[in-house]
Amino acid sequence: MTDTKTARDLLDMNTKMSRFEKFRRVLSEPNVDMRELRKLSWSGIPEELRPMAWQLLMGYLPCNSERREQTLARKRKEYAECVAQAFARGEAGLDQTIWHQIHIDVPRTHPHIQLYQQTATQEALERILYCWAIRHPASGYVQGINDLLTPFFQVFLSSYVSVDTDLEEFDIGELPEEVLTVIEADSFWCMTKLLDGIQDNYTHGQPGIQRQIGRLRELIGRIDAPLAQHLESESVEYIQFSFRWMNCLLMRELSLRNVVRMWDTYLAEESDGFSDFHVYVCAAFLIKWSATLRKMDFQDMITFLQSVPTATWTDRDVEMLLSEAFMWKTLFHNAPGHLAHRK
Amino acid sequence: MSKDDEYDFLFKVVLIGDSGVGKSNLLSRFTRNEFNLESKSTIGVEFATRSIQVDNKIIKAQIWDTAGQERYRAITSAYYRGAVGALLVYDIAKHVTYENVNRWLKELRDHADNNIVIMLVGNKSDLRHLRAVPTEDAKQFAEENHLSFIETSALDASNVELAFQNILTEIYRIVSRKALDTSSDVIKPTDGQKITVSPNQEDANKGGKCC
Repeated sequence: MTDTKTARDLLDMNTKMSRFEKFRRVLSEPNVDMRELRKLSWSGIPEELRPMAWQLLMGYLPCNSERREQTLARKRKEYAECVAQAFARGEAGLDQTIWHQIHIDVPRTHPHIQLYQQTATQEALERILYCWAIRHPASGYVQGINDLLTPFFQVFLSSYVSVDTDLEEFDIGELPEEVLTVIEADSFWCMTKLLDGIQDNYTHGQPGIQRQIGRLRELIGRIDAPLAQHLESESVEYIQFSFRWMNCLLMRELSLRNVVRMWDTYLAEESDGFSDFHVYVCAAFLIKWSATLRKMDFQDMITFLQSVPTATWTDRDVEMLLSEAFMWKTLFHNAPGHLAHRK
Repeated sequence: MSKDDEYDFLFKVVLIGDSGVGKSNLLSRFTRNEFNLESKSTIGVEFATRSIQVDNKIIKAQIWDTAGQERYRAITSAYYRGAVGALLVYDIAKHVTYENVNRWLKELRDHADNNIVIMLVGNKSDLRHLRAVPTEDAKQFAEENHLSFIETSALDASNVELAFQNILTEIYRIVSRKALDTSSDVIKPTDGQKITVSPNQEDANKGGKCC
């Protein structure tokens, strides 16, 4: 028994090491082959290499290694100037509506994770969100964007602490100030890139989300007709439970650790990971609970769906979800006619 | 079918008001007797139920808690459909949340049923030393606008029970008076599908399966 376990552990470790080697090879090329990096990243990125891989996949870090230092220096400086300008006249000089909303939401961001309860962390998040909001007046800050910032913050923080540190318990005060500034700037730019791709989720009327909810409904109708019928017969509307799934990219449904793993794949999915592919993930997520839901009435379903039992989820559960989503995408994505005719 | 799925009336009530005034904690205090200083912001809507008794009738309240930020209004107004009551909440320590009450009233006039019962709720009454909205002002405003009024504290639980009890009783009185006036068997207070206010027990007992 112990021998089998050891053998399996060894095998696991070997696979991990060989994956790590592959990543390292791709990332150390003078010109990173993005197709190769995407292909590898889809199945998860090793923790130590994730900060760099994410920055490349987000299009923040240039593929060409010679341009990196200069680009990062320029971007970090630009962010620092934006902060300096925005906060030049202290709190009184800020747009009070935007600032107020950010200021009451930041302390409510991951309230049970110690890292996010520290003043230095909260102030960094506030500056990022405020600068983003004033640069994007069409949407401004919308509740939930605070959640979307944290995977970047945490992953980029991981570059500067030893691998065995529990980031969620990390004392941010241990970091030199200039390091925190770098993490803050990089998080700002990557969040900006992410939101550029899903901006109509947060503009007036939130048309991006409305469209995604419609698409989810259509998909469930095709993939799981009995569930679709049950939801309809109990008058459950998709907007009642899946609005949050879209608005916060399932971050309220899954642990931060799970979300980080999920974003490896989202980032690897060309340009539509956070929009189109996400809807397939939501479909797979809903269908996971199909048997349970079909025994419930309206009230029990809504209650269940607003606190889905994922507390024990590991990377494997997330990977299963992503694989299912990939399968549905492959089946339906480029076949709208096929979709329409099945009804 | 479990006992708490039996009810005589099912009323949908919405919680609205500015971000951070304590709507979610009012809901959790009333439905679960819980208060959480560190709760996340509400995105979209959240839902909970609780049954109370009025005149020997069991009234089940289906309460929808909404997100307070302006950007969400286009979405949240969809949740007003079928609501027979609204708790319009402000923070007694933040005057601007009281000033915005008029905008919320307009929101209800535009999107909710005309006969919706509205209660103005000044929450966080435990913050005595920080009070920015005098009770008398709010009371007078409520009278002028034909709203009921109460001050609550989700934190120390004062008046929370009473607030919900009052609004549900008020809705019940209106509905049962209407039932007498029209003597019809089934009264639908609104066009919402989920809310069937039914005065006879047999019709009302179709609660949920328990899992």
